[in-house]
Parts: sequence; structure tokens; C-alpha cells
Amino acid sequence: MTDQNGIGVYLCSGCAIGQSIDVDALSGIAASEFKVPICKTHECLCGDEAVAMIAEDVASGGVEKPVIAACSPRVMTDRFQFDGAQVIRANMREQVVWCHPPGDEDTQMLANDQLRMAITRATKSNAPEPWKEGEFSDKILVVGGGYVGLSAALEASRAGTDVLLVERSDQLGGNVRRWSKVLPDSPPYGTPRDNPVPGLIAAVEGDARISVMTDAIVAQTSGQPGQFKVEITNGGSTSEEMVGAIVLATGWRPYDPNKLGHLGYGASPDVVTNVELEEMLAAGKVAKKNVAFIQCAGSRDPDHLPYCSSVCCGVSIKHALQLIEADPDVMAYVIFQELRTPGVAEDLYRAAQDAGVIFMKGDVKSVGADLTVVVDDALLGEEVPLQGLDMVVLATGMVPNSTNIDLPTRELGEDEEMPPLLRSDIDTTAPITVAGYMGEEPAAVEKREETMPEGGPLLNLKYHQGPHLPMLADGFPDSHFICFPYESRRTGIYPCGPLRRPMDMGEAGLDAAGAVLKAIQTIRLVRDGASVHPRSGDLSYPKIGLEPCTKCRRCTIECPFGAIDETDKDYPVVNPARCRRCGTCMGACPVRTISFDNYSIDMLTSMAKSCEIPDEFDEKPRVLILACENDAYPALDMAGLSRRNYSAFVRIIPVNCLGSVSALNVSDALSVGYDGIILMGCKSGDNYQCHFVKGSAMAQERAANIEETLASMMLEKERVEAMEVEISDAERVGQLIDDFVATIDEIGFNPFKGF
Amino acid sequence: MTAHLPETKRKYDLTFARWVSRNVHGGDKLNMCMQCGVCSGSCPLGEQMDYGPRRLFMMIRAGMKDEVMKSDTIWNCVACYRSEVRCPRGVPVTHILDSLSVVAVREGYAEAKNAETTRFAKAFWWSAKKFGLTDERLVTALYYFSGGIGEGIRKGMANQKIALRMIGKKRMHVGMPRKIKRRGELKKILAKAVEIENRNDAAAGEEVKS
Repeated sequence: MTDQNGIGVYLCSGCAIGQSIDVDALSGIAASEFKVPICKTHECLCGDEAVAMIAEDVASGGVEKPVIAACSPRVMTDRFQFDGAQVIRANMREQVVWCHPPGDEDTQMLANDQLRMAITRATKSNAPEPWKEGEFSDKILVVGGGYVGLSAALEASRAGTDVLLVERSDQLGGNVRRWSKVLPDSPPYGTPRDNPVPGLIAAVEGDARISVMTDAIVAQTSGQPGQFKVEITNGGSTSEEMVGAIVLATGWRPYDPNKLGHLGYGASPDVVTNVELEEMLAAGKVAKKNVAFIQCAGSRDPDHLPYCSSVCCGVSIKHALQLIEADPDVMAYVIFQELRTPGVAEDLYRAAQDAGVIFMKGDVKSVGADLTVVVDDALLGEEVPLQGLDMVVLATGMVPNSTNIDLPTRELGEDEEMPPLLRSDIDTTAPITVAGYMGEEPAAVEKREETMPEGGPLLNLKYHQGPHLPMLADGFPDSHFICFPYESRRTGIYPCGPLRRPMDMGEAGLDAAGAVLKAIQTIRLVRDGASVHPRSGDLSYPKIGLEPCTKCRRCTIECPFGAIDETDKDYPVVNPARCRRCGTCMGACPVRTISFDNYSIDMLTSMAKSCEIPDEFDEKPRVLILACENDAYPALDMAGLSRRNYSAFVRIIPVNCLGSVSALNVSDALSVGYDGIILMGCKSGDNYQCHFVKGSAMAQERAANIEETLASMMLEKERVEAMEVEISDAERVGQLIDDFVATIDEIGFNPFKGF
Repeated sequence: MTAHLPETKRKYDLTFARWVSRNVHGGDKLNMCMQCGVCSGSCPLGEQMDYGPRRLFMMIRAGMKDEVMKSDTIWNCVACYRSEVRCPRGVPVTHILDSLSVVAVREGYAEAKNAETTRFAKAFWWSAKKFGLTDERLVTALYYFSGGIGEGIRKGMANQKIALRMIGKKRMHVGMPRKIKRRGELKKILAKAVEIENRNDAAAGEEVKS
């Protein structure tokens, strides 16, 4: 017998719900099956009158868990928010009446089960007690004193936060300090602008909120957001600081030109890189008349950097303009594969064309010691030798400083394996391909074997998952550069600027502000014991019952964010402020001893069991969908929104992340008579869209393991399927469901039905 | 005249491109060409040309003087202005091609002299200057025979039927050529036009023969 105290069921009959299904029958189920003390129906539950009614019930203390059977939990969240109450929603609109025929028996059965699941959820959900132990710090640590670090420090100071700025060299300013002109980020966009870094250095040095440490590196970082303990080594002495969040602005370094022998580097002193030219321009006049710029030197090349560094085209154009401005007789040739001038750099391109810079599209075949550059000219369709040049500039790309290359690379011990999750999202067996080619793409090359990243760790994290920041493809320590900018897979640590993806100074400045805002958000949220993005504000956190724990370490290994460390006795210990509440640990635990106050394996299983399973003579199969709340559940809502009818035999349970689904949920559901189970998550792989990095990938792995379980239960492996959908897949998701139900029809009913 | 073509020594020697930019009407806009190929894609006569406008402009940039001057691209342009209207960078394609053809004739390229367009233009201009209007019969005859007697007879025979039907419909004049009144005034107008052009070119540092 479950606890119905504090549950109030509120049924909405608006938005055609009342016309499509029998709301009174629902009310009967709440009263008779669950004996809930309060059950009310209203024709417009989100209207002022009804909201006031619920608020009154909550305020009087009678209702702690209002169960709102109305629209999707993704809408009207602000209307159905009541202080001190845990609101549970049953999706009667998007996933019942909008995608199933009105008045139908199956539609009514679905609605009944939606309500049963919601009430069961309410009985299994406790009010979360937020974690707020110990002292919290509001200070932000900015690592790196280049343009981005300086900008970040100033942005944080402007927002009223104290900043500690740590720079490894003896001077602030980074790469850009020595340059004369930089790419324009304000009008006029066709003219290189003066270097802003000296001004920023002065502003930082005059700012009372910012303390600067030069010649300093972070020797060790432990703790969690709000309570990071950072040891900083500064000229032999080590000091300890407490900070709330960390903004990483360690920037970039140019790709090693010594690897570009095929482009003539080293053969002549007049073959230089763009960074070397930058310094020559700052030092004084460059007395060269005929200059060729070779774009993509070591970039978009599977043997070197497979990615585009996005700024080199703009930088070469800027250099050409600077040279022509100093001497109008200079002839500048820019040899490109695709000229990439994102955003306002197009104006710079026009200015260069107007100034007479010659742009040649084609591959460089050879660079001779006499500086003859042979170009396979795509626009003329022939090989052209460029003669009479007196300088060749190689536009090299950016390599992120995701490690400290001044420090020795950590060697792996004899029996030691690569630290888990350092790079394991990258499919190491797939060959490297280069994206974005219009013409013939370079042949893919085999990926090099995974090695420890070159150099020492930036922050030397005292995390069980290792001292390095996990990296995406190509060594950028970003979490997901499109959906979640500035986020790393270590909560409270925000990489920004060219460290997270190649970018110009205009973008990098905005990035600094973005990362600082993320850091401030984190500091404020963890103080209240709340989760950061994407489950922003979630007050629960994983609790581990240590008695049944078998020290299997799956939770510590599989946590995508390194939130779980181990004690001396190998027991897992959660750092709640690092946790993002995906529940991957919960799904990983073979003994179900990890759960949240308001979310657990038992809750999911109980919800699945609360549905009515008709016996096989009714010829009504039941398919359980465990849908990720981030992409799959919204896609199902979208299917409803576009009135895409799909099989009414499915029962949908939203989950925090597909990673939180245990194999036990699947076998439990099969044993109560579900005929099939769909694990519906987001896109996995190199271009994953999972909000928690690995959820879908974990689910697929677990689904593969479940096959063995199915075989031992003498069940067909087709009964369990992991699917990937995108939020825009409204049409496709319906088709996937219909196809799956058709497959179940073919293989027949679950023989465990009725046991 | 001083505006002779420069010598080019190697590929991507910019002297030719700069000469075009200074001496060809609209050539100063050639810099802005970004080789998108909208001009060539839009050209209704693209298939009749050695090179499309895009390729021709790249060849100018690459200093391929002779190939540009000998190409039939400049002669087969029918001045529909489609490329010029569509060019995202505002390059006056039609004007540039037209101007290049003038340069090619002036520089004495055989391909230019023998181009059908040149020959037709000559016949047309002869009639216009002489009578103040075009005489279809004489212009056609002059154009047909500009390629030699054999070609003249062959072309004339081939188009015999059309000619007879045009005469039947009173679309082609027979008998003495018609003339405008006061042809002396026309001569004065043309002389003035040459004078103005010379003055403009002198101001631009160039001189043009009539």
C-alpha cells in the first residue's frame, strides 16, 4: 500500500480533453483505485480561477503533491508552480487527445494509464532536501591572462564578482600582446583595428576586484563548484585559494610549422607563418613586394589539423591589407581552398579585393626553395607556377591549449589504461574525415592510437576520473559546442575563447562574457543546493545507500561529469555540486542503491507496473517507451502538436536522461507483461545531442547487454530497441512507434503476460 | 594612341589586369569579382562561348592577355544584361565585354577583325554613316561578302527564300537606297561625338582615334 497523503488530483477538461475522453472515469480511477483524498475537475485548469483553487489547497496544507492531468509538462510550467509543492503532471493533451482518435476505447485506456502513472509517480516522490554543506565561495578563478582571460576578468568584475587571474608567463596579454593590428570587431569592418590588449591590461591592473598572479600555474584543483580548493604555484611557493567557479581562458598556440615541410617551411627564411609575420609587422616594415599567402597550411588536412580554424582567412586578408597600406606596390596573392570569411569578415574580404589583392582558388602543389609556388588553379583549370615571389606566408591554424605543454606529458603505467571518459566519446575506429569540402575531399586517414594528451593537465583535477578535462574531437575541452557553449564536462569549469573552438577576437570577447555568466549562475545555484543547466534548479541529488554497494565502480566510471569519487575503501562518494542530475549512476548501479529523493529505479518500475496490462485475448499489446525528457519527449509532444496519430498501445514515461534507465527497468517491465520496450533518446556519436553527453550511448550499450537477458528469458531480441530521435522528428517518431508496434504484432504477445 | 596593351611575362603578372582596370570601361570593378559564376550560369549564350565571363575575368587576373583577346566570348555577348543585373558584386559584365571587344579590334587581333560581329558591325556602321539609316539589303550584302566572294554567294543563296518573303511583305527595300534628309547635320553630330569622346579620354589620360 502506497502513501496517498498529500496527493491532490486536478483534471482539466479544456483544450478538447473533455470531448475526447471521459474525464469522470479518470476521476473515478483516482478515487477508487488510489483513494486520493482530493480530486477536482475544471474546464480550464490553467485559468486564474482553477490555479487559485489549487494554490488554496496547497496553502491549506492538504495538498503537497498536486497531480495536474492536463497539458504537457513542457508547457504552462509557470502557471502550475506552487510554493512548497511538488507538481506532478500527467500529459493528457499532447500525448493523448491530440494524437489519438476521440471517444476511442484505446484512447480512454491510455488516458487512464497516464493518470495511474502520474499518481504512482507522486506516491514514490519525496520532497528533495537540497545539499548545502560547508562554506561557499563567490570568487571566480580565471586561468590565462590573454585577451579572453582579461575580458573575462573585467566582465566578472563588472558583474560584481571578485576575480583571481592566473597567468603562466611573466606578463599579461597572451599571444595578442605583441601584435600591431587585429581583426575588426566594430565598424568600419573593412579596416584592421588597433590592438585592444594594452588597454585591457591597464583596466585589469586598475581594477580593485581583480587580483592578478603572473608566473603562476594551477598545481591542483579539488572540491566542487562553490567550493573549489585551488593550489597555485607561484615562483616556488604554493598558496591555496577557495573559488566558486573556474573560467578557463588558456587560449591557443599556432600549429607547429616544422611539420609543414611540404609547404617549404624551413627551406627558406622567407617562408614564414602568419604568427611570425604578425610579429614582423609589429616590429617594423616588412620590405617585401610580392607575397603569397597559403591558406589552410596544415588545416583541414587529415594528417595535420582536420578542422578549420576559421580565422586564418581573415588574418591573411588583414596581413595583405597591412602590407598594401604600407606600400601600395605590394602584390599579395591569397591561395585558398575555400575562402571562409564568417560574419563581418566579408567586409574585410571586399576591402582587400578593392585594394587589389589577388585571390586564387586551388591546391598548392609545391613550394620551391626559390619561392616558386606551383598552384593547381581550380578557377583556371591548370597548374600555374607563381614566380618572382619574395615571401611566402603559411596561414597555420590554432591548436587549443587544453593542456599545459610546459609540463611533462603524463606517461601511462605498464598496466594502466587510458583514464575512462577522457576521450572515449570519440569513435577511435572511424577514420578521420574532413568536413565542409565543396570539391574533392581529401582521403580519410586512419585515426592515430589514443594517447595521453601532450603536456600536463591545466588544472590537475583531483577527480576520480583523472586530472585532465575531457575533450571533444580534435582536443577541444568543450561539452557540446553548439548546444551548450562554454560548458565542459566538469561542472563549474567553463572553457571559453579559442580554447573551446577556433574563433576570432570579436567572438572570443563575447565568449568570455558568456562563460563568466555561466560561472556566476553556477555559484548562485550551488549555494541553494540546486542543479545547473540543463536540469537547472533541480534540488535533488543522487544518494547512495552503501550497504548493498558491491564496489563495482560502474557509477564512478560512467558518470559523464566526474561527480563521483571513491573513498579509501573504494566506496563511491558523490560531490553533489558537480552533479547535473542525469541519473546515469542510477541507471548504472546493478543493485539499485542509487536514487534521488524524487526519482528512482523503483519509481520508474512502479509507474510501468501501475498501467493496466490487458491479457492476450484482448489483442491489445502494450509497449513501454522510456523517453528522454530533453529530446525524445518533446519530439512526442511535437507529434501531438502536429496531430500525428500513432499507435495508442504505447505508454510513455519521461526520464531525466536515457542514461538513468537501468537494465532492471527493462526486465521488470517485460516480466509484468509489456510486449515491447523502446528506449528513446537523443543522437549519440561524434555529433551527439545528448544533454548529458553519454545518455543515448549508454542506453544502446545497455540495450545490447539486455539481449542476453532476453535470450535467457526465451524472449525475442526485437522486443527491446534503443532509438535516437531529434527534437524536430515529429513525423518520424510516430512512424518509428507504428513500425515497432507492427513488429510486436508479428512476433506475438509476451508469454509472461498474466503471470 | 597610347593605350597599347602591356607585355605580360608570366602567369599572375598583374600588369594586364591593372591595364584593364584603368583602360576598360567598368574594368575598375573587375577587382570585386569573387568568381561565384553567377554570370556564366546566367548567360543564355554561354555554350556558344570559348569561356564564360567568370573564366574570362579570372584569365584577365592571371594575365592571359592573348587568350582573352582572341576569345569569342567578347563577340558572342548579346548584351542581354542578365549577368550584369545578377552580379552580387556589381561588376558591369556587359560593359566590360563590350569594351574589351573595342580594345581587341584596336589592337589588331585577327580573331577580332574576322569576328562575324565585327564584320556585321562594319557593314551596319557604313550604312548608318552613309545614309543616316540602315539599308537591309546593302548591309546584308556587305556583311555576306565581307568573308570573300564564295562565302557571300553561299550565304546569299541560303537566305534567298527569306529575302524574297521579306520583299513580298515590304520588309526589305528594293531600288535606290533611301537616305535621311540633311545628312550634313548627321556628319556634324558624329564629328562632335568623336570630339567629346577624345576630350573625355584626354582628361582620363588617353586618346582615341575616330
